[in-house]
Amino acid sequence: MLIEIDKLRTSLGGTAVLRNVRLSLGEGEIYGLLGPNGAGKSTTIAVALGLLRPDAGRVRVLGKDPRLVAHESYGNLGVLPEQNGFYDWMSAHEYLHFFAALHGRRPGQNEMRRRLADVGIEPRPRQTIGTYSRGMRQRLGLARALLADPKLLILDEPTNGLDPRGRREIHDILLGLASRGVGILLCTHLLDDVDRLCRCIGIIVEGRTVAEGAIVDLIGNEDRLVRFRLRLANDPPPEGGNQHVSVVAHEGEWWVVDLDPAVAPEMAWRELLFCGWPIAEIRREGGGLEDLYLTLTERRAA
Amino acid sequence: MSATSLIARKEAGELLLSLRGLAWLMAVAVALSIFGLLLVSNTELSLLDNAQVVYDMVGIVTALGGLLALVVGLDAVAGERERGSLVPLLLTPASRDAILAGKLGGVAIAWGVMYALSLPYLWAVGSTGQNLWQGMLVLALLGSPVVLGFGFFGMALGARLASARTGLLTGLIALVLSVSPLLLGPSLRQSTIGGAFDAVNPFSAAVNAYDAVIIDSQTILAQWPHIAVAIIWLILALWLARSGFYRVVR
Amino acid sequence: MKLAALLLAIGFALSASAASAASLAVDLKPAGSNPPSPQMGDTLSFHTVIRNDATTPVDGLIAWISLVQIDKGKEQPVDLEDWSAHKAVTAPSLDPGNTLETDWPMRLIQSGKYRVVVSAVSRNGTELTASPFADFTVRQKPVVESQRVLPVVIGLPLLIGGGMLWRRTGRRSGT
Repeated sequence: MLIEIDKLRTSLGGTAVLRNVRLSLGEGEIYGLLGPNGAGKSTTIAVALGLLRPDAGRVRVLGKDPRLVAHESYGNLGVLPEQNGFYDWMSAHEYLHFFAALHGRRPGQNEMRRRLADVGIEPRPRQTIGTYSRGMRQRLGLARALLADPKLLILDEPTNGLDPRGRREIHDILLGLASRGVGILLCTHLLDDVDRLCRCIGIIVEGRTVAEGAIVDLIGNEDRLVRFRLRLANDPPPEGGNQHVSVVAHEGEWWVVDLDPAVAPEMAWRELLFCGWPIAEIRREGGGLEDLYLTLTERRAA
Repeated sequence: MSATSLIARKEAGELLLSLRGLAWLMAVAVALSIFGLLLVSNTELSLLDNAQVVYDMVGIVTALGGLLALVVGLDAVAGERERGSLVPLLLTPASRDAILAGKLGGVAIAWGVMYALSLPYLWAVGSTGQNLWQGMLVLALLGSPVVLGFGFFGMALGARLASARTGLLTGLIALVLSVSPLLLGPSLRQSTIGGAFDAVNPFSAAVNAYDAVIIDSQTILAQWPHIAVAIIWLILALWLARSGFYRVVR
Repeated sequence: MKLAALLLAIGFALSASAASAASLAVDLKPAGSNPPSPQMGDTLSFHTVIRNDATTPVDGLIAWISLVQIDKGKEQPVDLEDWSAHKAVTAPSLDPGNTLETDWPMRLIQSGKYRVVVSAVSRNGTELTASPFADFTVRQKPVVESQRVLPVVIGLPLLIGGGMLWRRTGRRSGT
């Protein structure tokens, strides 16, 4: 395992910030760390990086206690913090050379050019970082995090400030890294990113992990109806076939239906089709990760 | 190149290659120029007045140097933290000690640049007077620990206080307090409290040594008590900087 | 008789005071090595000879040097603090006919016209004995050269400003 956190408790200034956090990330996994603002996500990351002392619990990063070996283990670790500042007077090449040197490496100009191109940056000569857009800065931060070819990446809001194409490019980079065995801890508010990238997630609310594990399992465990929108070729739907489906609303050409969660969706659609429902399009409404997140965070808040 | 050297070189770049750093140097140069221009307007200086001019210029270089070092030291920790560039630095294989040493080196480089900048001014106003070279030497020997001490003190404040603005205000108050006996006049320094403060105040130690060497033509070696006060201040500030920097989290 | 005694007493008193006044003689001469046209920063030296012309020893002799500026409109005494470290000489006793010689070095701090005089008194004396004056003029020496100051005070800020412009131009051309 690249990260193992169990029963983590931490306080800051006498106030308990983390009360019971657990997290485990293996090689080649992309783990999504979710939670409302102030839940303790960044604090959890700070503990994992050895920047904060835990009061209790077990924390292992790359097999070691980060408090004891923090700065040595940073050689195998790439980090993109949420507040991502740079030295605006440097060029991108100078910046990466500086950090590469701190990692004990001296890459050539071609390698630097390639690393920047990998994250979608092609700087003009003498162009300083101070002239970069927010999205370019984010890409440069990712390039810095990848400098040491790390085994473990910890990314806090990595697609912040990127347009949809940029986000997709970053997603592809991260998926490529995971396929090569890099473990990625992804801290983000963008559930679309988590949906696309992560198999496992952990949700922290008020310093406690309220859900942790595979997304599919977490969603399946939630006991609630699953809602869909059906566009039918002809109006209205015929009688019958709806023993597992209850029609909730009719909005124009769309019929909103709730599906019995005990029934697999494909079974329900087969029955409806068999009974003559002219289903032209199916869209899931809610019941996914966003629903799960909202349900868990509201429940905790209540 | 070691991590310390890399980081010290980066800090020097912040001063000499960034617009912000060059603006600080410009402010220092303009202050020295205004003082120098005031001298040009006085055509009837005596030899003694000229020694006084060299003494005053050396004193102002020390005060401005302390201010610049304080700002550079604060920015090296609190400024970087607020700009978000400190955490990536802390998350490299460079140890805390190496990063700290690099930043201390940056403060030293800033003073070196300031000292070099002051030499043409001293030469311009003091070349026909007395004890110019001794003045330059005592500025290097005594001004350096005093100025560097303020730089390290700035780093300590930046590490311990929540914001760079609070650190700057606190540091400026400390600097003004240190300079205050000279602003308030010699009679107040002769009271019991004033004398006691004068004895431990590093800025007073520097200025008293400048007076002795430049105006009274005493030897630099004879200033060892003042040098001792300056060195103690430097060590104290270094300890504060180190202990504070180890507390920096994010 | 009484008148004669009174006249005799007055005569003794007058002769005694005349004798005191005449007991010390102070001579002041500039040293031969002094520059003929001194300027600020030069060092002058004056030589005095104090002689006991009385028939009795002079006890507790003190002699000191004074300097005044005599430029018209600027007449004032000068504090010798920075001009000379040697400001006075003393002798416990000076026998009749003996002399006390002293040199008075002086660094010229400011330009102007000056007058130096050496004064002497003794413990039992009733009057001050002054030397003749020694006048000298100190030429002005420029201590702040505009040719040096102006290029520095203008040039250095311009140089740094040029550096700022260069960095800013470099950034802009990179966009």
